[in-house]
Amino acid sequence: MEERRHTSLHYEMELQEIKNSLIYLGALTEKAIQLAMKSLTQRNTDLANQVIRDDDEIDKMDTEIEERCIKILALRQPAAIDLRFITTAIKITGHLERIGDMAVNIAEKAIQLNEEPQLKPYIDLPRMSGLVEEMIKNALDAMIKGDLQTAEKVRETEEAVDNLNEQIFRELLTFMMEDSKNIHRSLLVMHVSKNLERIADHAKGIADMVTYMVTGENVRHRPQN
Amino acid sequence: MKKNLFYKIFFSYLVIISLSFLLLDLFLREEVEKNLTSQIETEMMSYAKIIDLSPREKVTEQIGEMANISNCRVTLIDARGKVFADSEKDVTQMENHSNRPEVQEARLKGSGISVRFSSSLNIDMLYVAVTIRNGEKINGYVRLARPLHDVQKVIQKMYESILGASAIAVIVSLLIALFISYRLAEPIRAMERFTEKLRQGEPVGAILLNTADETKKLADNINFLEELKDKIRIANEEKSKLMTALTSMTEGVLIINAQGLIEFVSPVLGDMLSVRYEDVFGKTLMEAFRSAELQKILTEFKRTGENITREITLDMAEAVILNVSVSAVHGYPQEDKTMIVFHDVTRLKKLEKVKEDFVANVTHEIRTPLTAIIGYLETIKNGAIGNIDETKKFVDIILNQAERLNRLVEDLLTLSHIELKELKFNFENVSINAAITNVISLVETKAKEKKITIHNNVRENFPMIRADKDKLTQIFVNILDNAVKFTPESGRITIVAKEADAYTAVSISDTGIGVPRDEIQRLGERFYRVDRSRSRDLGGTGLGLSIVKHLMIAHGGRMEIESELGRGTTVSLLFPLAKKEQNRVPL
Repeated sequence: MEERRHTSLHYEMELQEIKNSLIYLGALTEKAIQLAMKSLTQRNTDLANQVIRDDDEIDKMDTEIEERCIKILALRQPAAIDLRFITTAIKITGHLERIGDMAVNIAEKAIQLNEEPQLKPYIDLPRMSGLVEEMIKNALDAMIKGDLQTAEKVRETEEAVDNLNEQIFRELLTFMMEDSKNIHRSLLVMHVSKNLERIADHAKGIADMVTYMVTGENVRHRPQN
Repeated sequence: MKKNLFYKIFFSYLVIISLSFLLLDLFLREEVEKNLTSQIETEMMSYAKIIDLSPREKVTEQIGEMANISNCRVTLIDARGKVFADSEKDVTQMENHSNRPEVQEARLKGSGISVRFSSSLNIDMLYVAVTIRNGEKINGYVRLARPLHDVQKVIQKMYESILGASAIAVIVSLLIALFISYRLAEPIRAMERFTEKLRQGEPVGAILLNTADETKKLADNINFLEELKDKIRIANEEKSKLMTALTSMTEGVLIINAQGLIEFVSPVLGDMLSVRYEDVFGKTLMEAFRSAELQKILTEFKRTGENITREITLDMAEAVILNVSVSAVHGYPQEDKTMIVFHDVTRLKKLEKVKEDFVANVTHEIRTPLTAIIGYLETIKNGAIGNIDETKKFVDIILNQAERLNRLVEDLLTLSHIELKELKFNFENVSINAAITNVISLVETKAKEKKITIHNNVRENFPMIRADKDKLTQIFVNILDNAVKFTPESGRITIVAKEADAYTAVSISDTGIGVPRDEIQRLGERFYRVDRSRSRDLGGTGLGLSIVKHLMIAHGGRMEIESELGRGTTVSLLFPLAKKEQNRVPL
């Protein structure tokens, strides 16, 4: 997508606009996760409410991108890499929208957690959200540049996130066993962790779609190793 | 230049002359030759016919005379081909002529012509023969011969005169070429000199020519070029002025073209956002900066067309708070360009926050002990004074709180003294080991209560540093006190010292609770606490690290903090090397 390849400048601009909207949507979801996590670690309910409010825009962008893609499919009959780009865009926007929803989930849990005293200092959760944010950033980077290496990096990070999720799960289990009063809060934190892990899955999904867009090879259901 | 032109003109004349000469030869020679030959033929034929009319005997007698008159060789041949009279040769020695082509032709048609190489004379000859008739019967032939080179001679003469004329033409053309080349070259050379000067950037006026042909027009155009050069120079100057303005102003500038692609980024902006020009050039704003906030501003500007100024935070390598102004670039009729000006207000915002926090913190820190003091005093006043034991307890608390207030005020005073540079420093060579051992003895009791072990790994003979002994003690006390405070039971504190390039580094590491990464930067701020409730419980004023930071600066060094949550914190104190300090400030 680096230089102009189409004789029709208008077509070129339509594709560019879809790309732009995707990055925009990506930036919105990134921000949503950041704010949701901040609302949790800084115990700031206002931020959580902002995440929930801002999700409307994410949903709107998602619909808009999808409509634009369908319009191009209908009017331009794209071929080869353009066709792959459009279909990929439709899928990526779906992933991003789901990520936005999960940020809302985290924000909702944060609101509940903020009403009670802090269970424990958050150490692994911020680390996990840091990894997840990086994954989304990299996945979108990979999409902009069509860079397979960055896409591969996203897939590699996913495992680290999975491991952290397991670790948090075990840690919370001990908290719950220690004192039944901890169970409610532990479950909420576990929800947050689970949501982060699912966001990582979606980021990996985006990376897989990027690989498909560039090579035409489907790596989604490739066996592990 | 002039010579060149002359050669060109002369050469073209030469070509024209030679060409006409050649064409003349091609067309004329043949024509002239044919004409001359046929003229001679007719002439000879006439002579032959005249000879034919004369009686044979008379002809035989007067053959020499006839040859003279006709300027031909005359031969008389009988019907059988035998030669019976010849003007030049002895007839007895001549062979039979009946099979000569001209004779044969004459036998058939009455007259014959032939051009042949004469073996007897060794040249091309023209032969003409007519029959001598007596009624229907052929009695014999009259043959006349004349050498053909007569014709050649005429042609040659003609050529000679043509050549002569050509030579004159060549000489004349030479003169004309000289003249024209001079007339043409003069203005051209003037223009050449002019443009050469123009090229080298020398000052030139304008060319004035007194000709009225094409060169005049050319000169006018060159004069216009000179004006154009001036315009280009002015434009360049304007451009460099603009560039200097853009690069030297503290705001970063970015220009987006009609297609929404970035086409200019000022170097300041590159530094501000740590992006490279190549990475953003030709990209869309969204691709380059990935900021939804920034895109929102641009979209809003595109929709309303009104200039927008707004504050946004960009998450580049570090979070940058920017004041962003969007406006249209005028002067491009077909292109709607957009200019975005970025003003980095991160420092300003941080300072603002520090100030706000400071005021809020000071009031809060002072009010807390005051509330306690007032509360207990009221209790005592309202009757507790009767109960000596209670009153004693309360007075202790009041004293405690008053001391805390005193500590706070003293810390604040120290800080402001350092900042106003009113604090006197007495620099001397100090042993790190001795200073630390001294400080450890001060915090040892507290450490022992929490079963924290302190390891002083600094050699006794470690090179001395230049410092104020009292202030150094204060620095170490503050750091070690913090380390003991924030390290859970059975923890461990290690002190090491090493010499780096320009600094002596003393590092105090603990196995404490650690500090979140994004808060490390704020640790030196006054009253900044990572966990407010906990730290105040531990009796801190919130000014310790701030004092250390400023004391280190006063020592010409600095404080660096590394930390990992749950793992521990390492505070490194970097003192400038003692020797270098001595060299710099001769005492």
